[in-house]
Amino acid sequence: MPREMNPSKAEKPTRQAFSERMVEYGSIDAEFMVMEADIGGSTFTNKWGAAFPERYFNMGIAEGNMVSAAAGMAADGRTVVASSYGVFLTMRAVESVRTMVCYPNLNVKFLSSHGGVTAAIDGVTHQATEDIGMVTTLPNMQVQQPCDTVSARKLLDLALTTPGPVFTRLMRDPLFEVYSEDTEFRMGGSHVLRQGSDITIATYGDIVFQALEAAAELDKQGVSAEVIDMYCVKPFDTEALVKSLSKTGALLVAENHQRRNGLGYELAAFCLREMPVPFDNLGLRDTFAESGNYYKVLEKYGISANWIVTTAQEVLAKKG
Amino acid sequence: MNNPFGFSPEEVVENTVEIRKKILTTNHNAGQGHTGADLSETDILASLYLRLLRFSKDDPQHPDRDRFILSKGHGVGGLYCTLAQAGLLDSNLLDTYLQFNTKLPGHPVRQKTPFVEVNTGALGHGLALGVGLALAAKKSGNGYLTYVLTGDGELQEGSNWEAAMTAAHYQLDNLIWIVDRNGLQLADCTETIMSLEPLDDKLAAFGMSVHTTNGNDPAEFIATVESLPKDDGKPKAIIAQTTKGKGVSFIEGQPSWHHRIPKGDELPQALEELAC
Repeated sequence: MPREMNPSKAEKPTRQAFSERMVEYGSIDAEFMVMEADIGGSTFTNKWGAAFPERYFNMGIAEGNMVSAAAGMAADGRTVVASSYGVFLTMRAVESVRTMVCYPNLNVKFLSSHGGVTAAIDGVTHQATEDIGMVTTLPNMQVQQPCDTVSARKLLDLALTTPGPVFTRLMRDPLFEVYSEDTEFRMGGSHVLRQGSDITIATYGDIVFQALEAAAELDKQGVSAEVIDMYCVKPFDTEALVKSLSKTGALLVAENHQRRNGLGYELAAFCLREMPVPFDNLGLRDTFAESGNYYKVLEKYGISANWIVTTAQEVLAKKG
Repeated sequence: MNNPFGFSPEEVVENTVEIRKKILTTNHNAGQGHTGADLSETDILASLYLRLLRFSKDDPQHPDRDRFILSKGHGVGGLYCTLAQAGLLDSNLLDTYLQFNTKLPGHPVRQKTPFVEVNTGALGHGLALGVGLALAAKKSGNGYLTYVLTGDGELQEGSNWEAAMTAAHYQLDNLIWIVDRNGLQLADCTETIMSLEPLDDKLAAFGMSVHTTNGNDPAEFIATVESLPKDDGKPKAIIAQTTKGKGVSFIEGQPSWHHRIPKGDELPQALEELAC
Protein backbone atom coordinates (compact mmCIF):
# COMPACT_ATOMS: atom_id res chain seq x y z
CA MET A 1 0.00 0.00 0.00
CA PRO A 2 1.03 3.64 -0.44
CA ARG A 3 3.05 5.21 2.32
CA GLU A 4 0.99 7.33 4.67
CA MET A 5 1.11 10.64 2.84
CA ASN A 6 4.72 11.30 3.57
CA PRO A 7 6.75 10.78 0.42
CA SER A 8 10.49 10.83 0.96
CA LYS A 9 13.10 12.18 -1.40
CA ALA A 10 14.15 9.55 -3.92
CA GLU A 11 17.77 8.61 -4.36
CA LYS A 12 17.42 7.42 -7.93
CA PRO A 13 15.32 8.16 -10.99
CA THR A 14 12.81 5.61 -12.29
CA ARG A 15 15.00 4.89 -15.34
CA GLN A 16 17.73 3.65 -12.99
CA ALA A 17 15.43 1.68 -10.70
CA PHE A 18 13.77 -0.01 -13.70
CA SER A 19 17.08 -1.01 -15.29
CA GLU A 20 18.59 -2.21 -12.01
CA ARG A 21 15.58 -4.44 -11.44
CA MET A 22 16.03 -5.67 -15.03
CA VAL A 23 19.53 -6.88 -14.14
CA GLU A 24 18.10 -8.74 -11.13
CA TYR A 25 15.38 -10.20 -13.34
CA GLY A 26 17.94 -11.42 -15.85
CA SER A 27 18.77 -14.21 -13.42
CA ILE A 28 15.10 -15.05 -12.84
CA ASP A 29 14.28 -15.22 -16.58
CA ALA A 30 17.21 -16.48 -18.64
CA GLU A 31 15.59 -15.91 -22.03
CA PHE A 32 14.88 -12.23 -22.65
CA MET A 33 17.27 -9.97 -24.58
CA VAL A 34 17.98 -6.26 -24.31
CA MET A 35 18.67 -3.81 -27.14
CA GLU A 36 19.66 -0.21 -26.93
CA ALA A 37 20.53 2.63 -29.28
CA ASP A 38 23.75 3.82 -27.67
CA ILE A 39 22.39 5.69 -24.67
CA GLY A 40 22.90 2.85 -22.21
CA GLY A 41 24.76 5.14 -19.85
CA SER A 42 21.62 7.21 -19.56
CA THR A 43 18.98 4.46 -19.57
CA PHE A 44 21.24 2.38 -17.29
CA THR A 45 20.99 -0.53 -19.71
CA ASN A 46 24.80 -0.47 -19.66
CA LYS A 47 24.44 -2.25 -16.30
CA TRP A 48 22.59 -5.00 -18.15
CA GLY A 49 25.32 -5.09 -20.80
CA ALA A 50 27.95 -5.61 -18.12
CA ALA A 51 25.96 -8.36 -16.39
CA PHE A 52 24.67 -10.19 -19.49
CA PRO A 53 26.93 -9.38 -22.46
CA GLU A 54 25.55 -12.34 -24.43
CA ARG A 55 22.01 -11.00 -24.12
CA TYR A 56 22.81 -7.38 -24.86
CA PHE A 57 22.94 -5.58 -28.20
CA ASN A 58 23.93 -2.01 -28.84
CA MET A 59 22.25 -1.42 -32.20
CA GLY A 60 23.93 1.90 -32.80
CA ILE A 61 22.28 5.29 -33.08
CA ALA A 62 19.47 3.92 -35.25
CA GLU A 63 16.22 3.52 -33.30
CA GLY A 64 14.04 2.31 -36.18
CA ASN A 65 16.61 -0.35 -36.99
CA MET A 66 16.69 -1.37 -33.34
CA VAL A 67 12.91 -1.75 -33.05
CA SER A 68 12.55 -3.69 -36.33
CA ALA A 69 15.41 -5.98 -35.31
CA ALA A 70 13.73 -6.43 -31.91
CA ALA A 71 10.56 -7.41 -33.77
CA GLY A 72 12.52 -9.94 -35.82
CA MET A 73 14.03 -11.42 -32.69
CA ALA A 74 10.63 -11.48 -30.97
CA ALA A 75 9.13 -13.20 -34.04
CA ASP A 76 11.42 -16.06 -33.09
CA GLY A 77 9.63 -16.43 -29.77
CA ARG A 78 11.82 -14.29 -27.56
CA THR A 79 11.00 -11.35 -25.35
CA VAL A 80 13.12 -8.32 -26.23
CA VAL A 81 13.50 -5.07 -24.29
CA ALA A 82 14.12 -2.14 -26.67
CA SER A 83 15.41 0.93 -24.90
CA SER A 84 15.89 4.56 -25.83
CA TYR A 85 14.43 7.98 -25.10
CA GLY A 86 10.70 8.35 -25.58
CA VAL A 87 11.00 11.04 -28.18
CA PHE A 88 13.05 8.78 -30.46
CA LEU A 89 11.10 5.56 -29.81
CA THR A 90 7.76 7.18 -30.52
CA MET A 91 8.78 9.47 -33.38
CA ARG A 92 11.69 8.17 -35.39
CA ALA A 93 10.91 4.50 -34.80
CA VAL A 94 7.13 4.73 -34.73
CA GLU A 95 6.45 2.75 -37.93
CA SER A 96 8.55 -0.11 -36.60
CA VAL A 97 6.71 0.12 -33.28
CA ARG A 98 3.31 0.13 -34.96
CA THR A 99 3.62 -2.20 -37.92
CA MET A 100 6.44 -4.53 -36.96
CA VAL A 101 5.69 -4.93 -33.22
CA CYS A 102 2.11 -3.95 -32.36
CA TYR A 103 0.35 -5.35 -35.44
CA PRO A 104 1.67 -8.91 -34.91
CA ASN A 105 1.42 -8.35 -31.11
CA LEU A 106 5.02 -9.36 -30.41
CA ASN A 107 6.75 -9.46 -27.03
CA VAL A 108 8.79 -6.30 -27.37
CA LYS A 109 9.02 -4.24 -24.18
CA PHE A 110 9.88 -0.59 -24.60
CA LEU A 111 12.07 1.00 -21.96
CA SER A 112 11.35 4.63 -22.73
CA SER A 113 13.26 7.19 -20.73
CA HIS A 114 13.04 10.99 -20.51
CA GLY A 115 9.25 11.13 -20.61
CA GLY A 116 7.64 14.59 -20.49
CA VAL A 117 9.69 17.67 -19.73
CA THR A 118 12.07 15.96 -17.32
CA ALA A 119 14.77 16.22 -19.97
CA ALA A 120 14.41 19.91 -19.25
CA ILE A 121 18.01 20.99 -19.67
CA ASP A 122 18.27 19.14 -22.98
CA GLY A 123 15.35 21.01 -24.44
CA VAL A 124 12.59 20.08 -26.84
CA THR A 125 14.64 17.64 -28.96
CA HIS A 126 14.84 15.32 -25.95
CA GLN A 127 11.48 15.96 -24.29
CA ALA A 128 8.88 13.29 -25.03
CA THR A 129 5.74 15.37 -24.65
CA GLU A 130 3.62 13.60 -27.30
CA ASP A 131 4.72 10.02 -26.59
CA ILE A 132 1.64 8.97 -24.61
CA GLY A 133 -0.57 10.11 -27.48
CA MET A 134 1.51 8.16 -29.97
CA VAL A 135 1.66 4.86 -28.11
CA THR A 136 -1.82 4.80 -26.58
CA THR A 137 -3.19 5.15 -30.13
CA LEU A 138 -1.54 1.89 -31.23
CA PRO A 139 -3.72 -1.25 -30.97
CA ASN A 140 -2.26 -4.01 -28.75
CA MET A 141 0.11 -1.56 -27.01
CA GLN A 142 -0.05 -1.39 -23.20
CA VAL A 143 1.33 1.73 -21.55
CA GLN A 144 2.51 2.29 -17.98
CA GLN A 145 4.53 4.78 -15.97
CA PRO A 146 5.97 4.36 -12.47
CA CYS A 147 6.22 7.31 -10.12
CA ASP A 148 8.93 6.04 -7.78
CA THR A 149 11.52 3.32 -7.18
CA VAL A 150 9.14 0.67 -5.88
CA SER A 151 6.70 1.07 -8.76
CA ALA A 152 9.54 1.20 -11.30
CA ARG A 153 10.78 -2.17 -10.08
CA LYS A 154 7.30 -3.69 -10.02
CA LEU A 155 6.43 -2.39 -13.47
CA LEU A 156 9.58 -3.99 -14.90
CA ASP A 157 8.29 -7.36 -13.66
CA LEU A 158 4.85 -6.55 -15.05
CA ALA A 159 6.21 -5.61 -18.47
CA LEU A 160 8.16 -8.85 -18.76
CA THR A 161 5.36 -11.10 -17.55
CA THR A 162 2.50 -9.53 -19.54
CA PRO A 163 2.15 -10.87 -23.11
CA GLY A 164 2.40 -8.42 -26.00
CA PRO A 165 4.03 -5.02 -26.40
CA VAL A 166 4.38 -2.89 -23.25
CA PHE A 167 5.64 0.69 -23.22
CA THR A 168 7.07 1.84 -19.88
CA ARG A 169 7.63 5.58 -19.59
CA LEU A 170 10.47 6.56 -17.30
CA MET A 171 11.89 9.77 -15.93
CA ARG A 172 15.25 11.44 -16.02
CA ASP A 173 15.30 13.02 -12.55
CA PRO A 174 15.02 11.41 -9.11
CA LEU A 175 11.67 12.35 -7.57
CA PHE A 176 10.01 11.05 -4.42
CA GLU A 177 9.25 7.66 -2.93
CA VAL A 178 5.52 7.10 -2.72
CA TYR A 179 4.96 3.35 -2.37
CA SER A 180 5.96 0.82 0.25
CA GLU A 181 7.71 -2.37 -0.84
CA ASP A 182 4.68 -4.62 -0.45
CA THR A 183 2.45 -2.68 -2.86
CA GLU A 184 1.14 -4.77 -5.74
CA PHE A 185 0.70 -3.59 -9.30
CA ARG A 186 -1.25 -5.10 -12.20
CA MET A 187 -1.81 -4.34 -15.85
CA GLY A 188 -4.91 -2.16 -16.01
CA GLY A 189 -4.58 -1.22 -12.37
CA SER A 190 -4.33 2.01 -10.37
CA HIS A 191 -3.88 3.07 -6.76
CA VAL A 192 -5.85 5.57 -4.72
CA LEU A 193 -3.05 7.39 -2.88
CA ARG A 194 -5.29 9.71 -0.91
CA GLN A 195 -8.97 9.35 -0.17
CA GLY A 196 -11.22 12.33 -0.79
CA SER A 197 -14.84 13.23 -1.41
CA ASP A 198 -14.95 16.54 -3.34
CA ILE A 199 -12.85 16.00 -6.45
CA THR A 200 -10.80 13.25 -8.10
CA ILE A 201 -7.29 14.11 -9.27
CA ALA A 202 -6.12 11.44 -11.74
CA THR A 203 -2.46 11.48 -12.68
CA TYR A 204 0.63 9.32 -13.26
CA GLY A 205 4.42 9.42 -13.17
CA ASP A 206 6.19 12.45 -11.77
CA ILE A 207 2.96 14.43 -11.44
CA VAL A 208 1.76 12.02 -8.74
CA PHE A 209 3.89 13.90 -6.26
CA GLN A 210 2.63 17.27 -7.47
CA ALA A 211 -0.94 15.99 -7.05
CA LEU A 212 -0.24 14.80 -3.49
CA GLU A 213 1.20 18.19 -2.57
CA ALA A 214 -1.78 19.89 -4.16
CA ALA A 215 -4.19 17.64 -2.25
CA ALA A 216 -2.52 18.61 1.02
CA GLU A 217 -2.92 22.28 0.18
CA LEU A 218 -6.52 21.78 -0.94
CA ASP A 219 -7.19 20.14 2.40
CA LYS A 220 -6.09 23.33 4.12
CA GLN A 221 -8.56 25.17 1.89
CA GLY A 222 -11.36 22.87 3.01
CA VAL A 223 -11.41 20.71 -0.12
CA SER A 224 -11.19 16.93 0.13
CA ALA A 225 -9.31 15.71 -2.96
CA GLU A 226 -8.91 12.07 -3.93
CA VAL A 227 -5.65 11.29 -5.74
CA ILE A 228 -5.44 8.29 -8.09
CA ASP A 229 -2.15 7.10 -9.53
CA MET A 230 -3.13 5.80 -12.96
CA TYR A 231 0.21 4.04 -13.30
CA CYS A 232 -1.32 1.95 -16.06
CA VAL A 233 -2.22 4.55 -18.65
CA LYS A 234 -3.53 1.97 -21.13
CA PRO A 235 -5.69 0.10 -20.41
CA PHE A 236 -6.69 2.52 -17.67
CA ASP A 237 -8.60 1.40 -14.59
CA THR A 238 -12.19 2.27 -15.49
CA GLU A 239 -13.56 0.56 -12.40
CA ALA A 240 -11.46 2.67 -10.05
CA LEU A 241 -12.34 5.83 -11.95
CA VAL A 242 -16.08 5.15 -11.81
CA LYS A 243 -15.85 4.31 -8.13
CA SER A 244 -14.01 7.53 -7.36
CA LEU A 245 -16.20 9.76 -9.51
CA SER A 246 -19.34 8.25 -8.01
CA LYS A 247 -18.08 9.66 -4.74
CA THR A 248 -16.58 13.00 -5.85
CA GLY A 249 -18.49 13.92 -9.02
CA ALA A 250 -15.61 16.01 -10.41
CA LEU A 251 -12.41 15.18 -12.26
CA LEU A 252 -9.07 16.90 -12.81
CA VAL A 253 -6.36 15.14 -14.80
CA ALA A 254 -2.76 16.37 -14.59
CA GLU A 255 0.06 14.94 -16.68
CA ASN A 256 3.55 15.71 -17.92
CA HIS A 257 2.49 15.60 -21.58
CA GLN A 258 0.56 17.62 -24.11
CA ARG A 259 -3.01 18.14 -22.91
CA ARG A 260 -4.09 16.85 -26.31
CA ASN A 261 -4.16 13.05 -26.70
CA GLY A 262 -2.93 12.28 -23.21
CA LEU A 263 -4.70 10.56 -20.32
CA GLY A 264 -6.84 13.69 -19.87
CA TYR A 265 -8.44 13.33 -23.29
CA GLU A 266 -8.89 9.61 -22.72
CA LEU A 267 -10.68 10.08 -19.39
CA ALA A 268 -12.71 13.02 -20.72
CA ALA A 269 -14.03 10.87 -23.56
CA PHE A 270 -14.84 8.10 -21.10
CA CYS A 271 -16.71 10.47 -18.79
CA LEU A 272 -18.63 12.06 -21.62
CA ARG A 273 -19.78 8.59 -22.64
CA GLU A 274 -20.42 7.06 -19.25
CA MET A 275 -20.77 9.65 -16.49
CA PRO A 276 -20.37 13.34 -17.40
CA VAL A 277 -18.80 15.36 -14.56
CA PRO A 278 -17.18 18.80 -14.27
CA PHE A 279 -13.73 18.31 -15.79
CA ASP A 280 -10.44 19.93 -16.65
CA ASN A 281 -6.97 18.73 -17.52
CA LEU A 282 -3.48 20.10 -17.09
CA GLY A 283 -0.56 19.58 -19.41
CA LEU A 284 1.26 21.43 -22.17
CA ARG A 285 -1.19 23.71 -23.94
CA ASP A 286 -0.40 23.01 -27.60
CA THR A 287 3.12 24.31 -27.15
CA PHE A 288 6.70 23.12 -26.97
CA ALA A 289 8.40 23.61 -23.61
CA GLU A 290 11.67 25.30 -22.67
CA SER A 291 15.08 24.18 -21.58
CA GLY A 292 15.90 24.75 -17.94
CA ASN A 293 15.23 23.68 -14.40
CA TYR A 294 12.64 20.91 -14.31
CA TYR A 295 10.50 22.46 -11.57
CA LYS A 296 10.50 25.86 -13.23
CA VAL A 297 9.45 24.27 -16.49
CA LEU A 298 6.57 22.45 -14.76
CA GLU A 299 5.46 25.73 -13.19
CA LYS A 300 5.68 27.70 -16.42
CA TYR A 301 3.63 25.17 -18.37
CA GLY A 302 0.95 24.63 -15.76
CA ILE A 303 1.71 21.12 -14.50
CA SER A 304 2.72 21.96 -10.92
CA ALA A 305 1.02 21.54 -7.54
CA ASN A 306 0.08 25.25 -7.57
CA TRP A 307 -1.75 24.84 -10.85
CA ILE A 308 -3.49 21.71 -9.67
CA VAL A 309 -4.81 23.59 -6.61
CA THR A 310 -6.08 26.54 -8.64
CA THR A 311 -7.62 24.40 -11.35
CA ALA A 312 -9.24 22.04 -8.84
CA GLN A 313 -11.02 25.02 -7.30
CA GLU A 314 -12.21 26.08 -10.76
CA VAL A 315 -13.57 22.61 -11.46
CA LEU A 316 -15.28 22.55 -8.08
CA ALA A 317 -16.92 25.89 -8.86
CA LYS A 318 -18.54 24.22 -11.87
CA LYS A 319 -20.05 21.54 -9.67
CA GLY A 320 -22.66 24.01 -8.48
CA MET B 1 16.46 -30.47 -41.88
CA ASN B 2 16.09 -30.42 -45.68
CA ASN B 3 13.92 -28.84 -48.32
CA PRO B 4 10.87 -31.12 -48.50
CA PHE B 5 10.90 -31.09 -52.32
CA GLY B 6 14.56 -30.96 -53.33
CA PHE B 7 13.59 -30.25 -56.94
CA SER B 8 16.20 -30.04 -59.69
CA PRO B 9 16.58 -26.65 -61.42
CA GLU B 10 14.66 -28.08 -64.39
CA GLU B 11 11.78 -29.12 -62.14
CA VAL B 12 11.80 -25.68 -60.54
CA VAL B 13 11.53 -24.08 -63.99
CA GLU B 14 8.54 -26.28 -64.84
CA ASN B 15 6.84 -25.09 -61.69
CA THR B 16 7.55 -21.42 -62.42
CA VAL B 17 5.33 -21.66 -65.48
CA GLU B 18 2.43 -22.83 -63.33
CA ILE B 19 3.16 -20.20 -60.67
CA ARG B 20 3.09 -17.43 -63.29
CA LYS B 21 -0.24 -18.71 -64.62
CA LYS B 22 -1.60 -18.63 -61.09
CA ILE B 23 -0.33 -15.07 -60.60
CA LEU B 24 -1.99 -13.79 -63.76
CA THR B 25 -5.26 -15.57 -63.05
CA THR B 26 -5.32 -14.64 -59.37
CA ASN B 27 -4.64 -10.96 -60.02
CA HIS B 28 -7.18 -10.93 -62.85
CA ASN B 29 -9.83 -12.45 -60.58
CA ALA B 30 -8.95 -10.20 -57.65
CA GLY B 31 -9.19 -7.13 -59.85
CA GLN B 32 -5.99 -5.82 -58.26
CA GLY B 33 -2.43 -6.83 -57.58
CA HIS B 34 1.21 -6.02 -58.29
CA THR B 35 1.63 -8.15 -61.40
CA GLY B 36 5.02 -6.81 -62.47
CA ALA B 37 6.55 -7.38 -59.04
CA ASP B 38 5.00 -10.84 -58.69
CA LEU B 39 6.42 -12.01 -62.04
CA SER B 40 9.83 -10.45 -61.35
CA GLU B 41 10.39 -12.54 -58.20
CA THR B 42 8.76 -15.81 -59.31
CA ASP B 43 11.97 -17.67 -60.17
CA ILE B 44 13.59 -16.61 -56.90
CA LEU B 45 10.61 -17.73 -54.80
CA ALA B 46 10.25 -21.02 -56.66
CA SER B 47 13.96 -21.74 -56.20
CA LEU B 48 13.68 -20.99 -52.50
CA TYR B 49 10.55 -22.97 -51.66
CA LEU B 50 11.09 -25.92 -54.00
CA ARG B 51 14.82 -26.37 -53.54
CA LEU B 52 16.71 -24.15 -51.09
CA LEU B 53 14.72 -23.43 -47.91
CA ARG B 54 14.88 -26.12 -45.26
CA PHE B 55 11.49 -26.50 -43.58
CA SER B 56 8.73 -28.93 -42.68
CA LYS B 57 5.56 -28.99 -44.80
CA ASP B 58 3.57 -30.24 -41.85
CA ASP B 59 5.01 -27.96 -39.19
CA PRO B 60 5.31 -24.37 -40.49
CA GLN B 61 6.61 -23.28 -37.07
CA HIS B 62 9.37 -25.89 -36.76
CA PRO B 63 12.13 -24.13 -34.76
CA ASP B 64 14.91 -25.31 -37.08
CA ARG B 65 13.30 -24.04 -40.28
CA ASP B 66 15.04 -21.50 -42.47
CA ARG B 67 13.28 -18.13 -42.29
CA PHE B 68 12.14 -16.22 -45.35
CA ILE B 69 11.09 -12.57 -45.25
CA LEU B 70 9.43 -10.91 -48.23
CA SER B 71 10.47 -7.35 -47.55
CA LYS B 72 8.96 -6.21 -50.86
CA GLY B 73 5.60 -7.07 -49.34
CA HIS B 74 3.61 -5.79 -52.30
CA GLY B 75 4.89 -8.88 -54.17
CA VAL B 76 2.84 -11.05 -51.84
CA GLY B 77 0.71 -12.37 -54.74
CA GLY B 78 3.81 -14.10 -56.05
CA LEU B 79 4.43 -15.59 -52.62
CA TYR B 80 0.87 -16.91 -52.23
CA CYS B 81 0.97 -18.46 -55.69
CA THR B 82 4.33 -20.10 -54.97
CA LEU B 83 3.03 -21.48 -51.65
CA ALA B 84 -0.10 -22.76 -53.43
CA GLN B 85 1.97 -24.39 -56.18
CA ALA B 86 4.06 -26.10 -53.50
CA GLY B 87 0.91 -27.36 -51.77
CA LEU B 88 1.69 -25.29 -48.67
CA LEU B 89 -1.45 -23.21 -49.11
CA ASP B 90 -4.91 -24.34 -50.26
CA SER B 91 -5.15 -23.22 -53.92
CA ASN B 92 -8.81 -22.36 -53.41
CA LEU B 93 -7.69 -19.57 -51.09
CA LEU B 94 -6.22 -17.76 -54.10
CA ASP B 95 -9.80 -16.92 -55.11
CA THR B 96 -10.05 -14.88 -51.89
CA TYR B 97 -6.89 -12.84 -52.54
CA LEU B 98 -7.50 -9.22 -51.45
CA GLN B 99 -11.18 -9.92 -50.71
CA PHE B 100 -13.00 -8.91 -47.53
CA ASN B 101 -11.82 -10.88 -44.46
CA THR B 102 -9.36 -12.89 -46.57
CA LYS B 103 -6.48 -14.91 -45.20
CA LEU B 104 -4.47 -13.57 -48.14
CA PRO B 105 -4.24 -9.80 -47.69
CA GLY B 106 -2.31 -7.39 -49.93
CA HIS B 107 0.85 -7.53 -47.83
CA PRO B 108 2.22 -10.43 -45.72
CA VAL B 109 0.65 -10.85 -42.26
CA ARG B 110 2.00 -13.57 -40.02
CA GLN B 111 -1.13 -13.98 -37.92
CA LYS B 112 -3.24 -14.64 -41.04
CA THR B 113 -1.19 -16.81 -43.38
CA PRO B 114 0.92 -19.91 -42.71
CA PHE B 115 4.61 -19.72 -43.64
CA VAL B 116 4.63 -15.92 -43.24
CA GLU B 117 7.23 -15.06 -40.59
CA VAL B 118 6.80 -11.31 -40.07
CA ASN B 119 4.57 -8.46 -41.20
CA THR B 120 6.09 -6.53 -44.08
CA GLY B 121 5.08 -4.20 -46.84
CA ALA B 122 6.08 -0.93 -45.26
CA LEU B 123 9.25 -0.86 -47.36
CA GLY B 124 12.68 -0.89 -45.79
CA HIS B 125 11.95 -2.96 -42.67
CA GLY B 126 12.51 -6.52 -43.89
CA LEU B 127 16.27 -6.46 -43.62
CA ALA B 128 16.21 -5.19 -40.02
CA LEU B 129 13.64 -7.86 -39.14
CA GLY B 130 16.01 -10.39 -40.73
CA VAL B 131 18.89 -9.02 -38.70
CA GLY B 132 16.87 -9.68 -35.54
CA LEU B 133 16.14 -13.27 -36.60
CA ALA B 134 19.73 -13.94 -37.67
CA LEU B 135 21.03 -12.46 -34.43
CA ALA B 136 18.61 -14.63 -32.44
CA ALA B 137 19.86 -17.72 -34.32
CA LYS B 138 23.48 -16.86 -33.57
CA LYS B 139 22.77 -16.31 -29.89
CA SER B 140 20.78 -19.51 -29.48
CA GLY B 141 23.19 -21.59 -31.53
CA ASN B 142 20.41 -22.51 -33.95
CA GLY B 143 21.68 -23.28 -37.45
CA TYR B 144 18.81 -21.89 -39.47
CA LEU B 145 19.44 -19.35 -42.23
CA THR B 146 17.47 -16.16 -42.69
CA TYR B 147 16.68 -15.09 -46.26
CA VAL B 148 15.38 -11.59 -46.98
CA LEU B 149 14.08 -10.59 -50.41
CA THR B 150 14.01 -6.83 -50.91
CA GLY B 151 13.11 -4.89 -54.00
CA ASP B 152 15.61 -2.51 -55.52
CA GLY B 153 13.61 0.73 -55.40
CA GLU B 154 13.04 -0.18 -51.74
CA LEU B 155 16.74 0.39 -51.09
CA GLN B 156 16.09 4.13 -51.22
CA GLU B 157 14.75 3.70 -47.68
CA GLY B 158 17.69 4.49 -45.40
CA SER B 159 16.63 1.87 -42.87
CA ASN B 160 18.08 -0.82 -45.19
CA TRP B 161 21.51 0.67 -44.74
CA GLU B 162 21.17 0.86 -40.97
CA ALA B 163 20.31 -2.83 -41.03
CA ALA B 164 23.18 -3.63 -43.42
CA MET B 165 25.61 -1.87 -41.09
CA THR B 166 24.25 -3.89 -38.16
CA ALA B 167 24.42 -7.20 -40.06
CA ALA B 168 28.08 -6.65 -40.90
CA HIS B 169 28.91 -5.44 -37.40
CA TYR B 170 27.45 -8.57 -35.81
CA GLN B 171 29.03 -10.76 -38.52
CA LEU B 172 25.72 -12.32 -39.51
CA ASP B 173 26.97 -14.82 -42.07
CA ASN B 174 23.66 -16.65 -41.56
CA LEU B 175 21.78 -13.79 -43.26
CA ILE B 176 21.18 -13.92 -47.01
CA TRP B 177 19.88 -10.70 -48.51
CA ILE B 178 18.52 -11.04 -52.04
CA VAL B 179 17.89 -7.89 -54.05
CA ASP B 180 15.28 -8.31 -56.80
CA ARG B 181 17.16 -5.98 -59.14
CA ASN B 182 14.64 -5.40 -61.91
CA GLY B 183 15.61 -1.76 -62.28
CA LEU B 184 12.07 -0.46 -62.00
CA GLN B 185 10.00 1.06 -59.25
CA LEU B 186 6.47 2.39 -59.18
CA ALA B 187 6.88 5.44 -61.36
CA ASP B 188 9.94 4.75 -63.50
CA CYS B 189 13.46 3.28 -63.58
CA THR B 190 15.35 3.29 -60.28
CA GLU B 191 18.26 5.05 -61.97
CA THR B 192 15.97 7.84 -63.17
CA ILE B 193 14.25 8.38 -59.84
CA MET B 194 17.05 7.88 -57.29
CA SER B 195 20.01 6.01 -58.64
CA LEU B 196 21.32 2.99 -56.77
CA GLU B 197 24.40 2.19 -58.83
CA PRO B 198 27.10 1.17 -58.26
CA LEU B 199 25.02 -1.15 -56.06
CA ASP B 200 27.58 -3.95 -55.78
CA ASP B 201 30.23 -1.50 -54.55
CA LYS B 202 27.82 -0.02 -52.04
CA LEU B 203 26.88 -3.42 -50.66
CA ALA B 204 30.54 -4.46 -50.48
CA ALA B 205 31.43 -1.21 -48.73
CA PHE B 206 28.81 -2.04 -46.10
CA GLY B 207 30.61 -5.32 -45.40
CA MET B 208 28.50 -7.73 -47.44
CA SER B 209 29.82 -10.71 -49.35
CA VAL B 210 28.34 -9.66 -52.72
CA HIS B 211 27.24 -12.04 -55.50
CA THR B 212 25.57 -11.07 -58.74
CA THR B 213 23.40 -13.62 -60.53
CA ASN B 214 20.49 -14.03 -62.93
CA GLY B 215 17.37 -13.92 -60.77
CA ASN B 216 15.18 -15.20 -63.57
CA ASP B 217 17.24 -18.33 -64.17
CA PRO B 218 16.62 -20.86 -61.38
CA ALA B 219 19.67 -22.93 -62.37
CA GLU B 220 22.03 -19.98 -62.06
CA PHE B 221 20.31 -18.57 -58.99
CA ILE B 222 20.35 -21.93 -57.18
CA ALA B 223 24.00 -22.48 -58.08
CA THR B 224 24.84 -19.04 -56.67
CA VAL B 225 23.06 -19.66 -53.37
CA GLU B 226 24.43 -23.17 -53.00
CA SER B 227 27.99 -21.99 -53.51
CA LEU B 228 27.83 -19.08 -51.03
CA PRO B 229 30.80 -19.02 -48.67
CA LYS B 230 30.01 -20.32 -45.19
CA ASP B 231 31.22 -19.24 -41.76
CA ASP B 232 33.14 -16.31 -43.21
CA GLY B 233 31.66 -13.79 -40.79
CA LYS B 234 30.04 -11.83 -43.60
CA PRO B 235 26.36 -11.36 -44.40
CA LYS B 236 25.55 -12.33 -47.99
CA ALA B 237 24.06 -9.97 -50.54
CA ILE B 238 22.85 -11.45 -53.81
CA ILE B 239 22.06 -9.00 -56.58
CA ALA B 240 19.51 -11.02 -58.52
CA GLN B 241 19.19 -9.37 -61.91
CA THR B 242 15.62 -9.73 -63.05
CA THR B 243 13.10 -8.41 -65.52
CA LYS B 244 10.00 -6.91 -64.00
CA GLY B 245 6.96 -8.70 -65.44
CA LYS B 246 9.16 -11.60 -66.59
CA GLY B 247 7.48 -14.16 -68.83
CA VAL B 248 4.87 -12.04 -70.59
CA SER B 249 6.12 -9.86 -73.45
CA PHE B 250 3.73 -6.96 -73.01
CA ILE B 251 4.28 -6.79 -69.24
CA GLU B 252 8.07 -7.10 -69.20
CA GLY B 253 9.96 -3.93 -68.36
CA GLN B 254 6.87 -1.73 -68.21
CA PRO B 255 6.67 0.50 -65.11
CA SER B 256 2.92 0.82 -65.69
CA TRP B 257 2.54 -2.89 -64.79
CA HIS B 258 3.86 -2.37 -61.25
CA HIS B 259 0.29 -2.17 -60.00
CA ARG B 260 -1.70 -3.34 -63.02
CA ILE B 261 -3.59 -6.56 -63.71
CA PRO B 262 -4.37 -8.38 -66.95
CA LYS B 263 -7.79 -7.35 -68.26
CA GLY B 264 -9.99 -8.63 -71.08
CA ASP B 265 -7.96 -10.31 -73.82
CA GLU B 266 -4.72 -9.73 -71.95
CA LEU B 267 -5.26 -12.74 -69.70
CA PRO B 268 -5.67 -15.40 -72.45
CA GLN B 269 -2.82 -13.76 -74.40
CA ALA B 270 -0.51 -13.91 -71.39
CA LEU B 271 -1.47 -17.48 -70.51
CA GLU B 272 -0.86 -18.54 -74.11
CA GLU B 273 2.61 -16.98 -74.08
CA LEU B 274 3.47 -18.88 -70.93
CA ALA B 275 2.22 -22.16 -72.41
CA CYS B 276 4.64 -21.88 -75.34
